[in-house]
Amino acid sequence: MTRGVFMRDKIMNFLVFVLPLLIVLVLLYGMLVWTFYVSVSNWRGTRPNFEFVGLKWYRMMFQIDRFWVDVKNNLKWLGVGVIPTLFLALLIAYLLELSNLKGFETYTRTLILYPAAMSFIVTGTIWSWMYQPDKGVLNTILRYLHLNSLQSGYITNPDTATYWLVLIFVWQYLGISVVIIQSSFRSTELQEMVESALIDGASRLRILFQIIVPNIRGGLFILMGLLIISALKVFDIVYIVTFGGPGYSTDVLALFMYIATFQQHLVAFGAGLSVVIFLMAFAVVVPYTIYAFRRWFR
Amino acid sequence: MKSRSQKTVKFLAITTAIILSIAYLLPIYVMVLTSLKTPYEITQRTYLIPSIDLHPENYAKAFSLVKNALLNSLIISSSVTAISSFVGGLSGFYLSRFKSKFSKILFVLVGISLYLPYQAILVPLVQLMARTRLALTHAGMIMSYSILNVPLASILMGTFFMSVPREIEEAAEMDGATKRQIFFRVVSPMAMPGYASTAILVFTQVWNEFLLALTLSTPQTATLQVKLAEVKGSFVALYNLQMAAAIIGIVVPVGFFLLLGRYFIRGILAGALKG
Repeated sequence: MTRGVFMRDKIMNFLVFVLPLLIVLVLLYGMLVWTFYVSVSNWRGTRPNFEFVGLKWYRMMFQIDRFWVDVKNNLKWLGVGVIPTLFLALLIAYLLELSNLKGFETYTRTLILYPAAMSFIVTGTIWSWMYQPDKGVLNTILRYLHLNSLQSGYITNPDTATYWLVLIFVWQYLGISVVIIQSSFRSTELQEMVESALIDGASRLRILFQIIVPNIRGGLFILMGLLIISALKVFDIVYIVTFGGPGYSTDVLALFMYIATFQQHLVAFGAGLSVVIFLMAFAVVVPYTIYAFRRWFR
Repeated sequence: MKSRSQKTVKFLAITTAIILSIAYLLPIYVMVLTSLKTPYEITQRTYLIPSIDLHPENYAKAFSLVKNALLNSLIISSSVTAISSFVGGLSGFYLSRFKSKFSKILFVLVGISLYLPYQAILVPLVQLMARTRLALTHAGMIMSYSILNVPLASILMGTFFMSVPREIEEAAEMDGATKRQIFFRVVSPMAMPGYASTAILVFTQVWNEFLLALTLSTPQTATLQVKLAEVKGSFVALYNLQMAAAIIGIVVPVGFFLLLGRYFIRGILAGALKG
């Protein structure tokens, strides 16, 4: 191969394999930087205004009560949405592995995985109807079973509404979580370890927590990252079920960002909220990317 | 001893299956049932009992409400799926076969953008779409979603390419084939299941996406999710219509899931374990 041909080949490779991705990345990161830029501008109303005002909007943000309610709610989403899902999925996945009941695994997996194909708008619509306090499904069933004392206002009670919203999230992500954990069970080393522990007479619960959990750290770590990011950027469920109500008791940062930017036209302020959301997600994404990088280029 | 613990496991498995069945079948059951009732029957508080005569005409009504949005969603989701899978294939091949400093930097940039919250680029994107007037067309929506889905498609395809055996590829290289020929003639055909997984995952994701659709779409380009939210908002008490519309909205992705579940699951795993 002559040098000219070699160069031409390299350029063609670049044009075909790299350039499309490069364009996408430049656009994505360009827009990301642009969001930062807007957040330190004075853009209010529908007309762009790029007068530099420093951290004005961030200062305002930290003084607003609603911002802190949102932060608290986002933390509730993390607390109730991540660890319990992980734990529940771990137990179900383990049970699926242990039992050799015919069809049990296929049935259960299909059963809990189908919501993964549906949108939050659809699940939100269904669950709004389940939760409806007066005529809704759950309260009707409880009344029918004469368990009136268990009836609740669900999403209409400002103190607990967020938890009922998180439950929808858990319901929807449980299937994916089980599948991911199950696949990390499937290493021969782990299977051998479990078998020898069984022969030694270790109880199944002990095997789960002392042998399996430490050995599937990687899978759990990845799943946790996935759940944290999904819980952090949650928007659809809150939008469709409560729209942040009653009052703004179920509001989250993502919804506030949408309302501030597109309904109140406080664009710079909304961009500031986006930056906060991005930074929180970024903190999770970085270790995740490092982990993926090590596996990719080993 | 062993049989006793086997019995416990069996008991736990059956209990779990029953609890999960209630938790996951009840919503669907109620949804189908409600979609076949009249509003009057819904207020009768007999939710779990099918009404005496069913009302499939709810579906006709719901369909006429969402039919334009359904078409929009089909156009947008399929185009984005095609573009992202194609570009994702090219970049996935690059990331998995060219190990240079540059490809490592690109990998990190892709990794970070993989789960980027859409909020982080929403303001500039809306501005861009409005300025270029692309906001009014399907092309604008397609472009926006493609930009956001190429990173995921790249990682997924890269993961699948890694599991393609290298021998044939190396033989082709010895015969003097270029990387492009290898990609299009050798590796891509072997990675077709990978393309299927990627396509299904991207399609489902775009089909179900709401935030971007809500802010970018105009009445002409409104996607299904936007329309469903609108139906829920404007027919507050008409749960039958809401449910019928929702069922129409899940037919496509749930159909994919039931028919091609294997690819769906493989896509989820590839996205989670390597990305």
